[in-house]
Amino acid sequence: MDTAPYLVHRFGTSLVVLAGVSVVTYGLLFLTPGDPAEVILSQQLDRQPSEAEIEAFRAEHGMDEPVPLQYADWLTDVLRGDLGTSYYSDASISALILDALPLTLELAAASVVVALALAIPTGVLSAVHRGTAIDRASQLGALVGVSMPNFWLGYLLILVFALTLGVFPVAGAGSYSQLVLPAVTLGTGMAAVLTRLVRSSMLDVLDEGYLDTARSKGLRERIVVYKHALRNALVPVVTILGVQLGALLNGAVVIEIVFQRPGLGMLLVDAVFERNYPVVQGITLFTAVAFVVTNLLVDLSYRYLDPRVELGGDPT
Amino acid sequence: MTTTPPTLEYGPDDAATPDDESTDLLAVENLQVQFGTYDGPVRAVDGVSFSVEPGETVGIVGESGCGKSVTARSIVGLQEPGEVVGGTVHIDGVNVHEASDRTRRRLRGDTVSMVFQDPDQTLNPAFDVGEQIAESLKVHDQPERQRLLDYLHAPLFASRSDWRDHRKRAVELMAQVGIDDPADRVDDYPHEFSGGMRQRAGLAIALASDPDLLIADEPTTALDTTTQAQLLDRFRRLTDERNMATLLITHDLGVVADICDRVVVLYAGQVMETGPTDRVLAEPHHPYTRALLECRTSRAARKQRVPTIEGAVPDRLGEQPGCPFAPRCPAAVDTCQEGKPPTFERDDGTVRCREGVVFGESDDDGGPVLEYGCGETQCAREDSSTTSDTATATARSASPPPRPDDDTDPLVSLEGVSKRYQQAGGLLRRLLGTDRCLQAVDDVTLEIAAGETLGLVGESGSGKSTLADLVTGLETPTSGAVRFDGDPVGAAGTRTAATLHDVGVVFQNPRSSLNPRLPVAQVIAEPLYADGWEDQRRRDRVGELLESVGLSERHTERYPHELSGGQLQRVAIARAIALEPRLVVLDEPVSALDVSVQARVLNLLLELQRELELTYLLISHDLDVVEHVSDRVVVLSNGEVVEAGQTERVLAEPSHPETAALVEAVPRLEHSSQ
Repeated sequence: MDTAPYLVHRFGTSLVVLAGVSVVTYGLLFLTPGDPAEVILSQQLDRQPSEAEIEAFRAEHGMDEPVPLQYADWLTDVLRGDLGTSYYSDASISALILDALPLTLELAAASVVVALALAIPTGVLSAVHRGTAIDRASQLGALVGVSMPNFWLGYLLILVFALTLGVFPVAGAGSYSQLVLPAVTLGTGMAAVLTRLVRSSMLDVLDEGYLDTARSKGLRERIVVYKHALRNALVPVVTILGVQLGALLNGAVVIEIVFQRPGLGMLLVDAVFERNYPVVQGITLFTAVAFVVTNLLVDLSYRYLDPRVELGGDPT
Repeated sequence: MTTTPPTLEYGPDDAATPDDESTDLLAVENLQVQFGTYDGPVRAVDGVSFSVEPGETVGIVGESGCGKSVTARSIVGLQEPGEVVGGTVHIDGVNVHEASDRTRRRLRGDTVSMVFQDPDQTLNPAFDVGEQIAESLKVHDQPERQRLLDYLHAPLFASRSDWRDHRKRAVELMAQVGIDDPADRVDDYPHEFSGGMRQRAGLAIALASDPDLLIADEPTTALDTTTQAQLLDRFRRLTDERNMATLLITHDLGVVADICDRVVVLYAGQVMETGPTDRVLAEPHHPYTRALLECRTSRAARKQRVPTIEGAVPDRLGEQPGCPFAPRCPAAVDTCQEGKPPTFERDDGTVRCREGVVFGESDDDGGPVLEYGCGETQCAREDSSTTSDTATATARSASPPPRPDDDTDPLVSLEGVSKRYQQAGGLLRRLLGTDRCLQAVDDVTLEIAAGETLGLVGESGSGKSTLADLVTGLETPTSGAVRFDGDPVGAAGTRTAATLHDVGVVFQNPRSSLNPRLPVAQVIAEPLYADGWEDQRRRDRVGELLESVGLSERHTERYPHELSGGQLQRVAIARAIALEPRLVVLDEPVSALDVSVQARVLNLLLELQRELELTYLLISHDLDVVEHVSDRVVVLSNGEVVEAGQTERVLAEPSHPETAALVEAVPRLEHSSQ
């Protein structure tokens, strides 16, 4: 009934998860081979740095203090929204992320729209016409979609729609036409998983007695299916969608490279290649927070989809 | 899809056909419905014909599997399960199966409504009750303007004022069907409603379209007696007020006697007998109708075997000549097995049986084969075949079983036992101190003597099941003490094997209390495994148990879904007595079963009690069952014992209004009380 205690409890656990994430991401720095200061300086100076230079670099970036103290300093900064500066450009990492974020969000949102727009009607049709040609075709389509690697589909789409037909630009970001191909690429893979889920979930629901109640009111079959059945079939779909949002970021890394979109994924890959640890750290942390928040939202949405869900019950 | 038999040709939407039956609101002619199975088509409905006139209440009765629900669903054109392969259904002159989707929707939105059986299934859990009633009102008002986005309440597409209006009228309807505080409850979701309230909401949905014909498929079967009585009363009033015709499907002859004008008796997809309720129940013409009436526990002497109909409703696969009831019919002769039995038209109904068996034609003993076997003769035969005469004699004798007021210590004793449940109250409520707390069982003191049967009755929510859980140790009391044989009963999880032995439990619904993935032998052997019996001994014991509950070796490898409800309940009983318990807790053991099967399970329970000297704690909302089986009765209301005493005394002269109300609520066949 009352969601307040549940929210408090859920936020509490989320905080614990995030604290763990921060420790792990900070620890990444120490797991990497070689002395970061030395590695970075040698790249910046393009020669072996001297001991004095390394010492100076450490002092400048606070690397000479004890580790827990470094962590505390870092965390304080992070909580203030300061993720540090890039080793190379001295640009603020927060600024780098905020610059790249809109492109990734745009891609993610468009992909989810594509995925749902494909998966829901296909899955529902497939379930309603179970065992028919429609069902088999959609099942086959889903299988192909799941099996096909993202980047390959991406290049294929570029080949057909950009190079041969010339309807969409090959790569880049900024306009809607440039968003279409990457969103379709990323959305299709997700749609394939969701289609199967919508189908099986709908099949469970289609036998329910309350659909007969709805039919006996004189409702059109379309309303019976898309209002009464679908709402009940969506609960498991939303759960998987939440998990898939995490996978979406993985996908975005690949897709952004294929389509040369300077988003979060590309920023991450570049940072990894440059051993730009603070940037890697910042993006990892940001992604983890986004993931935790998304899942929190997904959990809260259950209550809307299925009123029987008692959020949390007793938090103890 | 639909093949119309040549003799019964109606134009598809031709209401103008001059016909004697044009006054009928509903005319079902030679309806045939089949299911496809791996073994071929099963004839679920096999040439059913009957009619309902405006304002009339007609009951369809029969055991489960006789095609009652399929008939009802076919009338409104609900496809699943089965396919209509012959015959016609006319509602208001419109042929339902040849009508277009649009016409059929019109019929459903205007003329005919349906109330379904299972209160957990009728309402959509995702929408509040008001919405579901409002929808029905909206369909009725604007049958042709059903836009998906409007019904999804999509902003800009939905006419919000319309919906507000319909919701307001939904509140009125809720009040009419007897939902208290309808204005508060309109926003509640189905899971916040009790079973009875959900059925009322289902009724409100059905009434929203102001139908001429209401089809109710076992609307009260899942409800307790008091709720059932209230709902039936409501049914009667509303159908009278609106001059609405009702087709009531039920297996409860008491309900039929209560509200139906006419009865249609269905067996194996065929109409066996039709006629006015009073006549059919008082002087049934067909042997099947008679057998159904005999099975009622209220007809048998206490603790005596209830007459049963042996055998089961056949699956109608392929061509089967003869009368479908012949194999179970005590009045059958050789000719019954061949050729279809003729249907006799009488002034007040029809009977489908061979000539000469038709009852009531002449005086009671006039007919040639009138010695009807389901009564005394069969009882005698069964008794001698299953129990020794002495055992019967003991049970029959007036000597009462040991009573708690004897010097012997009681087997189970409860002293001032209470059980409270904290309800999900939330932070605010807790702070304000308005936390809700459910007093499920309140200061109950009672004793159960060894060898007796104690009946526990009360409305749903009166704490019956909680009390049973306290006795079995599935729940621990908040205060007070539960003792078994003098020792306190701890939580089931903390008890030793030896004390767990002593109590067996049979639950209400065997389909959910038995693991669907285990074959029967393993289901029964589970307690034996837990007790560490070795292989051979365990197998022998399972065989023994199967035999004692009237099942055979061939059932051992079957899975629960392959068994009928009655067989499953036998399996559950076998499991409960596997370790030779002293006490068996029976939680509504027969309420999910048909009358004929119910009678057989009750007979089994009585027999086992005699043989194994069991003590029963019987929970039931069916007073007939309690009266038949129990030595003493305890009446619970709101968790408190309001009355306790000898069964005959309590039920005959109830001293507490709650008990009187329970007794009053039982639908009875007036004429059957001899």
